[in-house]
Amino acid sequence: MQFYETTYIPVKSIVMAILLMGGFGYFFYKVKHLVVLMNSVQGERGYGADRLGERIKVLFTDILGQKNVRRKLMPGLAHTFIFFGFLAVQPHSLEMMIQGVFPAFSVASFAPSFFTLYLQIADILAFLVLIGLGYGLYRRLVLKPGYLTNGMDAKLIILFTSVIILTFHIYNAFHLALPSHGFDYSPCFTVSVVVGAILNLSSWSESALRIGFEMTYWVHILTILGFMIYIPGSKHLHLLAGIPNVFYKPLDIEKPMIKTDIEDEDAETFGLSKIYELNWKQVLDLYACTECGRCEERCPASKTGKPLSPKDLIHELKVELMNNADALIKKEDVESLSGLVSAEAGPIKNDALWACTTCRGCEDICPVNIQHLDIILEARKNQVLMEASFPPEMQDTFSSLENQSNPWGFSEDTRADWCKELDVPLMADKPDADILWFVGCAGSFDDRAVETSKAIASLLNKAGVSFAILGTEERCNGDMARRCGNEYLAQMMIAENVETFNRYKPKRILTGCPHCFNTIKNEYPDFDARFDVVSHVDFILELIESGKLKVNAEYPGKITYHDSCYLGRWNNIYDSPRKIIAALNTNEELVEMVENRDNAMCCGAGGGRMFMEETMGERINNVRSLQAIETGADTVSSACPFCLTMFSDGMGDNKGTQDVKDIAELVDAVT
Amino acid sequence: MTKVAVLIETTDNEVKAANFGVLTAARGEGHELYAFVVGADAQSCKGELEKYGAAQIISITGDGADLSAQPDLQAKAIIAALKEYQTSVLLALGSSKGNDILARVAAKLQVPLAVDCLSIDCSASTVRKPYFAGKTIATLKLNGEYFICAIRPNAVEPVQAPVEAEVASFTAEVGNYDGLVIKEVKKSASGKVDLAEANVIVSGGRAIGSKENFDILEQCAAAMDGAVGASRVAVDEGFATHSMQVGQTGKIVNPRLYIACGISGSVQHFAGMKTSKVIVAINSDKDAPIFNKCDYGIVGDIFEIVPALTAELTS
Repeated sequence: MQFYETTYIPVKSIVMAILLMGGFGYFFYKVKHLVVLMNSVQGERGYGADRLGERIKVLFTDILGQKNVRRKLMPGLAHTFIFFGFLAVQPHSLEMMIQGVFPAFSVASFAPSFFTLYLQIADILAFLVLIGLGYGLYRRLVLKPGYLTNGMDAKLIILFTSVIILTFHIYNAFHLALPSHGFDYSPCFTVSVVVGAILNLSSWSESALRIGFEMTYWVHILTILGFMIYIPGSKHLHLLAGIPNVFYKPLDIEKPMIKTDIEDEDAETFGLSKIYELNWKQVLDLYACTECGRCEERCPASKTGKPLSPKDLIHELKVELMNNADALIKKEDVESLSGLVSAEAGPIKNDALWACTTCRGCEDICPVNIQHLDIILEARKNQVLMEASFPPEMQDTFSSLENQSNPWGFSEDTRADWCKELDVPLMADKPDADILWFVGCAGSFDDRAVETSKAIASLLNKAGVSFAILGTEERCNGDMARRCGNEYLAQMMIAENVETFNRYKPKRILTGCPHCFNTIKNEYPDFDARFDVVSHVDFILELIESGKLKVNAEYPGKITYHDSCYLGRWNNIYDSPRKIIAALNTNEELVEMVENRDNAMCCGAGGGRMFMEETMGERINNVRSLQAIETGADTVSSACPFCLTMFSDGMGDNKGTQDVKDIAELVDAVT
Repeated sequence: MTKVAVLIETTDNEVKAANFGVLTAARGEGHELYAFVVGADAQSCKGELEKYGAAQIISITGDGADLSAQPDLQAKAIIAALKEYQTSVLLALGSSKGNDILARVAAKLQVPLAVDCLSIDCSASTVRKPYFAGKTIATLKLNGEYFICAIRPNAVEPVQAPVEAEVASFTAEVGNYDGLVIKEVKKSASGKVDLAEANVIVSGGRAIGSKENFDILEQCAAAMDGAVGASRVAVDEGFATHSMQVGQTGKIVNPRLYIACGISGSVQHFAGMKTSKVIVAINSDKDAPIFNKCDYGIVGDIFEIVPALTAELTS
C-alpha cells in the first residue's frame, strides 16, 4: 500500500503525462496534416455553411438522429448503439486520463448526483456498444455481404472498440469492489455489477483488486491512445470527417450539374483529370468514407456485374490522394501527376466511368452524403472535352445531337410531325398559352414515346388546358450530352432553348420526360432561364385533384410503378404517380417492386447509357424487368420514355407478358 | 466533249461496284472516259469498265515503285498520267481511299478539290454537295486548271453504256520517296459484303430465335449479293456478332433495300437504317412499330416468307 501511494502513483502521473502529451500531440499532428492536405487541393466549387439553421437541424436529424445510417435496419441499429455508447464512455475515459496525471481530480466530488446519473446512462449505453459490435462481427464473419469491405482494418476497429468498452465495464466493476473513498458507486452500474459478479470480485483480496484495477486502467487508456493514433490513417477516419461532411451536405435533393465556363479562354483544362483538381469538400468526402458498401449494394452497375463500384471509386481516389499528399501540400509540379482515368491503371477505370447510369442511388444511400456523381460526371467531362475519349458508339449520337438536335438524327424539321393530325397548337401561333409543353426528343421522334405524347395531348385537351408546344423551335434539353461529358454540345442546345424560352416567357413549362424536367428545372437557372417547371405526373395529378380530369372508369388489373431516377432520386417525386394510380385503380392496391421509391433500381438507360452498348455482366433492364414481373402485376407503369423502352425490351428478354405503359396512357384510358 | 479521267478503286483486282456510279457521272453528255487503274490488273477490270463506257483503260505503274503502297507516289503518277493524256478532269469514288489520293493530287497541283459530291457537271466545272448534315445542298464552281472531285458512294445511279475499250499502259517516273509507306492492310474477318457499303441488307431480330436460324437470312441475302444485319437484341442473345448490329449503337447503313425480319422496329434500330431507300418489314405482329416505318410490310411468319423469297430469287 505504501509502495502504491508513494511510488506507483507519482510514477503513473509522470508516465501518463508523457503518454497523453505524446498521444494527443501525434493525433493532432496527423489531423493537422489531413486538414492541410484538404486545403491544398485546387478545385474551385467550395461548399459554404449557408442556411445555417437547416444545417444545425441536420446535426440533430442525421447525426444524433442517425437517420441515414438507420436506413438499413440491423446495421443501422448496431451503428446507433455503437455511436451513442462510444460517445457516452468518452467523458469517463477523459476523467480517467486526468486522474492518471492528477490523482486528486474527481468530477464526483463537485457534482455527485450528476456524476451518478451520467454513469448510470453510460454503463447501459456502453453495453449496447458490445451488442452492436457483436452484430458487426457476426456480419463480417458469418453474413459477409459482398459489398462490405471486410479487411483487417474493420476487424482491428472492432477489436479496439471492444477492448475500450470491456475495460470500461471491468474498471467500474473493480471500482465497485474496492473500498469507497467518499463517492458511492453502488447505484451507478447496472452492467458492470454483473461483470463484477462474473469475475467473482467479491472473493478477491484488496491488493489483487487494486492490481486488477490498475491493469485495467492501463489497458483502457493505452487502447484509447492507440486507437486515436490509428484513426486518421484508417477507414475509421469517418469518425472525424463524417460529421462535418454531413454538416456540409447539399441541403436540397435537386442539384444541377456543375456548369463549366467553356468560353473561359484562360482555362487549360475542363472537368476533373487530376487529383489536385478536387475541391476541399470532395476531399472531405474521401475522408468520410468508411467503406460500408451501401453505395455498391445499390449501384445498378455493380449489381449486374459491371466494373463500377462507387465505393471502390471513392476508396481508390483516397489512396491516390494520400499517395500524392506531399506533392499536393507543397503544390509542387501537381500538373505532372498522372491522370485519374485510364483503361488499366489509375483510380478510375474507363469502363467503370462509362458504366454509371447517373441514377444517384449511391449518393442517396450514402450515410455520410458523399457526392459520387460530382466526381464521375466531371471526370466524364474531362474525358470528352480534353481527351476525346468516350465509347465509340456515342460518336453518332453526339453528331446527331449536334446536327439535328435529337439523339437519333431524325431531321429536325420533322420534330412536330407526330402531332400533325392532332389538336396541338404551336407557341408561335399561341404565344400566350398558359402551358408551354416541352415534348422532348423521345416524345417527338420515338414511336413508342409518341404514344405517350398523344396521351398527354389528349389529357390536356380533355381538361381544357391552354397549352402549346415549341415544335421545330424545340431543341434537345441537353441532359444526355451533359451527362455524357459533352458539356460543349449540351450548352449549345441549352443556349438555344433558353433563348426560345426567354422570348416566349411561358407562365409554366410542362415536360413529358423526367430528363427534360430535371435539366430545365434544375440546370437551366444556371443559364438564365428561371421558369416554373412541372413534370407530367405532377400536372396530371393536379388536373385530377382539381376535378378538371374526371376518372370515369376503373383501370383494369394490377399495376406496378417503376420510379424513374430523374423523377425520384433527383427530384423527390414519389407520391404523385402513386396517387394517380390509386385514383384510377381503386379496386387494387398498387403492387410495389422489391426495390421501390428511393430504393428503386435504375432501368439502365440514364446518363446516356441508353445510347451505349451494354456488353458487361447482365443487362440492367432485364434484372429490373424481372422485379416488375415478380410483382404479378398486369401492367408495368413508369413516367419516362427511356424507362419504357428498357422495360419493353426487358419484358421481351424475360418472356414477360405485362403491358408497359406510361402513367399518362393509363390516365388517358380511363378519363 | 471533254476528256475525263476516273480513278478506279479495286479490291483484289476486282472493280468495286460503287465505281460504276462514278463512271456514269463522269460520262455526262458523252465525255471521253479514261479509267485509271493503279495497283491492279487492268485487263481483268476491262470487262466491267467497258460496260459503263470507259473507252480508254490506262494501267498506271511507277518505275520500280509499288504505287498501291505509296499514296504520295501514286498521286505523282496520276498527275503524270493526267498530263500525258491531257485530261483536265479527275474523278474518284469518295471513299476513304479515293478522298486520300485526290487530296494529294489536288495539293500537288495546287488546285481546288471537292469531296462528297452528289453530282457534277464537267463542262461547267460545278458540283453539288450537301452542307449542314444534308439540310442544304450547295452548287460550287471550281476554278482551277484541273477539275478534281470525289463522288459520294451510291449518290449516282449506275447506268450502263457499253463500249469497246482499249487498254494502254503508262509508266510514270515517280522517283523515290518513302515518307509514307503502307506496310500492311488488315481486312475485317468476315469475307462478306460490308454492311455500310451493301446495296441490300437482310436483317434479323429477336424472333429469329437462334444463331442457326440466321442461315435463312444468309441465304436470302446471298441471293441478292447482300449482307446480313441484326438488331441489338439478336446480337445480345448471341444470334449474331456485334459487327452485324444495325442501329443507334451499331452500324448506320443506307442500302437500296433493307429487309427487316422479325424486328419490332424500336427507334434505336430505326435510327441506324432510316436512310435506306426501300424498307421491307416481315413480322408476325401486325402492330409492330416497324410497319409504320416501312415501304412494304408483310404480316406473317418469317420462317415461311424468307425461304419462299429466297427460292423465288434463286429460281
